[in-house]
Amino acid sequence: MATFLQVAFDGLLNGLLYALVAAGLSLIWGVMDVINFAHGEFLMVAMYLSYWLGFIWKVDPLVSSVAGGAFVFILGALTYRLVISRTIGKSAMSALLATFGLSMLLKNVCLNRFSPNFRILQHTLLGGKTFNLAGIIIPLPQLVIGLVALALLYLIYLLVKKTRLGWAIQATAMDKEAAELMGINTERIYLLVFGLGGACVGIAGGLLPSYLAVHPEVGGLFSLIAFVCVAMGGFGSIPGALLASLLIGLVEAFAGFYIAPVFKYVAVFGLYLVVVMVRPRGLFGW
Amino acid sequence: MGKSFFGKCLLLVLAALLVVGTLSGVAVAEEKVIKIGTLFPLTGSVALAGQRCRAAVETAAEVINNAHPELKVPLAEKAGLLDGYKIVLIHADHQGKPDVAKSEAERLFDQEKVWTIIGCYNSACTKPASFVAELKQKVFMCGCSSSGALTERDFKYFFRMAPTDKTESLEFVEFIEYVNEKKNAGVKTVGLIYENTEFGKHAAEEGRMAAEAGGFKVVADVAFNPGATNLNSEVQTLKAANPDAVFGACLGGDYTLWVRTMKQMDWLPKVALNYCTGYQDPIITGQLGDDANYFMGGTGYAPEFAELMPAVAAVEEIYKAKTDPSVPFDSDSIQEAVALFIVAQAIEKSGSLDPTVVAETLYANEWESPLSMGGKVAFSPGGQNVKAMSMLTQLQGGEYKRIYPLDLADTEPVIPMVPWKDR
Repeated sequence: MATFLQVAFDGLLNGLLYALVAAGLSLIWGVMDVINFAHGEFLMVAMYLSYWLGFIWKVDPLVSSVAGGAFVFILGALTYRLVISRTIGKSAMSALLATFGLSMLLKNVCLNRFSPNFRILQHTLLGGKTFNLAGIIIPLPQLVIGLVALALLYLIYLLVKKTRLGWAIQATAMDKEAAELMGINTERIYLLVFGLGGACVGIAGGLLPSYLAVHPEVGGLFSLIAFVCVAMGGFGSIPGALLASLLIGLVEAFAGFYIAPVFKYVAVFGLYLVVVMVRPRGLFGW
Repeated sequence: MGKSFFGKCLLLVLAALLVVGTLSGVAVAEEKVIKIGTLFPLTGSVALAGQRCRAAVETAAEVINNAHPELKVPLAEKAGLLDGYKIVLIHADHQGKPDVAKSEAERLFDQEKVWTIIGCYNSACTKPASFVAELKQKVFMCGCSSSGALTERDFKYFFRMAPTDKTESLEFVEFIEYVNEKKNAGVKTVGLIYENTEFGKHAAEEGRMAAEAGGFKVVADVAFNPGATNLNSEVQTLKAANPDAVFGACLGGDYTLWVRTMKQMDWLPKVALNYCTGYQDPIITGQLGDDANYFMGGTGYAPEFAELMPAVAAVEEIYKAKTDPSVPFDSDSIQEAVALFIVAQAIEKSGSLDPTVVAETLYANEWESPLSMGGKVAFSPGGQNVKAMSMLTQLQGGEYKRIYPLDLADTEPVIPMVPWKDR
């Protein structure tokens, strides 16, 4: 039983991390219908920022996550202003290809500047710390990331559902032209959404060096899983992304332990296929 | 004017181009170069290792192309090969992907016209790339790819410097038998953790066969996808089976994640033995700090081996200038330098650039190799270096200590590994 609970807990914590990475993507995809292929690289950039702040000035990732969020907010807003805004109104493929190009650019800039070295931040506040709860080992870095994910997703949910800004975001997502006729500055909404999407993944990236090595390829699988979470949860649905992420975390953990570790991603993508076939709009898609 | 004028101009331009082209052709011919391709993962999850392998080949090329009488390695005394040929390296990146390795090998041979390829670090990439070379009857020099299957294909143009997973597996089992007998280690069961690639699967297969032949029960067989976001299920599976010894084949970042996840789950086997993996990477083990200690593995070279391989230090200085002054050769990169030194010696000895003649020469002779642990290189049919040696080391205080075979050991192994809470 203890092993079962341990596996379940590991799965939930991983799911929450995926939710934090997927939240921003969900927001961008839901509102703008843009698939941000550079999402994983945004994560990687925030991880590097957190690593260098920790390495040079001994700033803990807990603090660096704020800087990561702010930095990637700006990166996201700039991406919108300089790249995405030029593709709005054109074929969906142009935005996709533009963000793909951006992802290659970011990855190769980091590869060139920082080399492919795996960089590990040592002596962080949370690094390597665990506590034992009735026989279940709970890793502190993952727990904190999970709690941050829950808090942040709740805040985004409140923002979208309970504030005037959120209503404007929803209106823009539903019908851009009608929203403009109602006096909503959709350009500013898009800018803000891209920035917010970046901030979410930036916070995740800022926290991750507590236990994960940083390197130019680190964002790849995270962004792939985030895409699956968003598509499974339903485009633009934050609760959907959360639920899908938790499901994916649990499926990954249970399949990995009870079937075979090598099958864990097979199970994840298999589940995704089933959900998309049964309910193409995803669990909570609008 | 008109058409005739432009016609004359065109003729003049074409004639000029023809003359320039011919002259440049003469210049290239006079340059006397041997183009050698390198094919390593310069990007991707093991790019760091690939870039170091490339730097090692560049180091060997520099020693061969220029007179370095101060170095005690073959071909260092004179500049170039044969009667004045220089080696020119053409680098390619396979990104750790077998399909890219195959197409890059084809490009190197067909478009770049390289004479041989040195590579590919990842066994999964070496396999298709060397197949391309064999089809074209071109020599393929493999430094460190360790999958035993590579030299079981009866290829005529493929040569590998490093020991195979089979050699290492047998050495692991021999070592466990030794610690059971002399140190009462009580190792009865073995677990395997490996990346789900050509290299990992073959290493695990050899590990399983060697363990079972030695009378040990394999209680866990854990394959994982390289570059995973976490290795929780993998370590949880090992922990549930609780093997006394673990044979690991985890490269690069996966190695750090494996070690850190074991720490997080507060579990360690008595003995953790690693193939050619992140364990051998001094940067990775350095960054893991104290967590890296007490792990063990096969090691072809570490700076701590200086007294056994005295010629390496001076060559290593050239290598460091190309990479990072704080990063020495490692077990993998040094084998790639050896690959170039050996093929260059074969070209020099045969006096020919015919691949078949050079391949026959490679088989027919025993080669001096001060950069190899055994000091010699000789090939058996299939291209395996039968003189390849590896030594078991254990990281103690951040240093690779020699623990086995006993005649080369400088330190007693710490067994069982010190638990996480006592470090």
